[in-house]
Amino acid sequence: MSIRVRRLAFDYKDFGLRVAAIGFETSRLTAVVGPNGAGKTTFLKCLGSLLPIPAGAVLIDDRDLVRFKSRERARRIAFVPQEHGSIFNYAVLDFVLLGRAAHLGVLATPSAEDERAARTALDYVGLRAFAARPISQLSSGERRLALIARSLAQETDILLMDEPTTFLDMRHEVEILDLIHKLSREAGKTIVCTLHSLDLALKYADAMVFMKDGAVLAAGPPGTVLSEALLETVYGIPIRIRTVDGRIVLLR
Amino acid sequence: MTKRTGFWTLLAVLLPFLILVLSLAIGSYRIPPKELVHTVAGLISPSRHPDLAPAFKDILLHIRLPRLLLALMIGASLSLSGASLQALFKNPLVNEYILGISSGAGFGAALSLVLAGRGFPPQVAAFGFALLAVAAVLAIAGRSESSVVPILLTGVVVAAFFQALLALVVYFASPYALQTLFFWLMGNLALATWRDVVLAGPVMLAGSACLFLLRWRLNVLSMSETEARSLGVHVRREKILVILAATLASAAATSVAGIIGWVGLIGPHLVRMAVGADNRKVIPLAASCGACFLLLADDAARMIMSFEIPVGIFTSILGIPVFVYLLAKTKKVWL
Repeated sequence: MSIRVRRLAFDYKDFGLRVAAIGFETSRLTAVVGPNGAGKTTFLKCLGSLLPIPAGAVLIDDRDLVRFKSRERARRIAFVPQEHGSIFNYAVLDFVLLGRAAHLGVLATPSAEDERAARTALDYVGLRAFAARPISQLSSGERRLALIARSLAQETDILLMDEPTTFLDMRHEVEILDLIHKLSREAGKTIVCTLHSLDLALKYADAMVFMKDGAVLAAGPPGTVLSEALLETVYGIPIRIRTVDGRIVLLR
Repeated sequence: MTKRTGFWTLLAVLLPFLILVLSLAIGSYRIPPKELVHTVAGLISPSRHPDLAPAFKDILLHIRLPRLLLALMIGASLSLSGASLQALFKNPLVNEYILGISSGAGFGAALSLVLAGRGFPPQVAAFGFALLAVAAVLAIAGRSESSVVPILLTGVVVAAFFQALLALVVYFASPYALQTLFFWLMGNLALATWRDVVLAGPVMLAGSACLFLLRWRLNVLSMSETEARSLGVHVRREKILVILAATLASAAATSVAGIIGWVGLIGPHLVRMAVGADNRKVIPLAASCGACFLLLADDAARMIMSFEIPVGIFTSILGIPVFVYLLAKTKKVWL
């Protein structure tokens, strides 16, 4: 499933988001990067219609996103937040099961089949043994995996992820991004994630979107779009680009 | 369903009714156990027991049974509404007070007792003003889609406003009206009649049934609004649906029994401590637990002194120590 954005505009107090035209392709992992306050998360939420889109359009396979009903939209687009926002301490399996809401009516309760879908999602992220554990007993990395499992239980073609690696150590960063990369390749999902780490974006992303002050400054495959001039414009500090062992590294 | 959960489900359904039957024996007029069994048997199959004592029959059928049925339904409704609103507002301290239901009902009852005398029943006025209070909260705060905080804040403000109006009415009330009013405000089942059961019962059942059907959805709604939206929930519409159902159930309960505190907090929290946060279990068990709790509190209210004490006082006196004990004893986080 592809996403196209057309003349998107979003205003909040003295912040404005303006995106003229950009597209995200099936089975590709796109990283949205830029400094804090650039509008990355706002852009991501607009893509998922989690914020109202006041002007312009987001098209999902050429159909305007605002025309989707809540449940229809949730069967196509899943959103993985940085943290889950509940005070209630659900068991991990019950938590992942929430992803099935996209496929169930308001008064319905999940069936055995829904539970199977949730268990499959838990297996995929490697949390099978944690099914009965309360969610508060998981580490940040495991909780991130539970959030991803919930979005997988939703069975969507599009995954939007907000900073999937914040608060994680280097090993867990790599594990999560390996998983996300696998999802784009094996499961054929269209994945857009905001990332703070340029190094990880360079290693994993098929395409990068550079944002600053609510605008997209550049977008494309890392190899073609990256330049020292662009990095200095986006981050406001000089950054050198070097190649070590055939891989791009950035020096601050 | 496994054999074990089957047993617990059956127990949760039967326990309130078992307590109800045992509670038939309790009251200021002592009925000997033998007579009690005889009368109950006679009420069930009149043809085989033609020689019933009319006094016992009247007391059981027209005084105790409607009262106990109301206690059961009110306890279940308040506990169920509390559990649902706590999930919806993602706040463990929320109950029917927070939407202005208790204050609105209190003002309505006071107004009817003081101004209209016996012409306009306080139950109807209480129910009407409870709904009005919730409508005011939703009208003021309902526009903002973003967060639950505006609703909670508006609820506090509307409740305070009705409290002030209540104080105004109390100030001008005659001593007789005042006595009746205080009786009502403290939470009381002593005046329960079959008419209350027939009028308020179906409303409580309708609200509770709706919340029961929404039990899994409440898990989804207990996530942040962004998450709920991304999971396919039409947040504002479903939020109002839960509020309406909880309002119907708890406003009907309050309108017939007055302000009975703590049931909406104790029931749900006891259940969460025992079985965890999943509302598929919490909602039905909270109903059962709230019903048992209010039946037992009402038994205590009738038994402890030679005269009756308002049950609202007992729900607090019994409930708070139980709650504090469990808070201290339960080391694990149950929310």
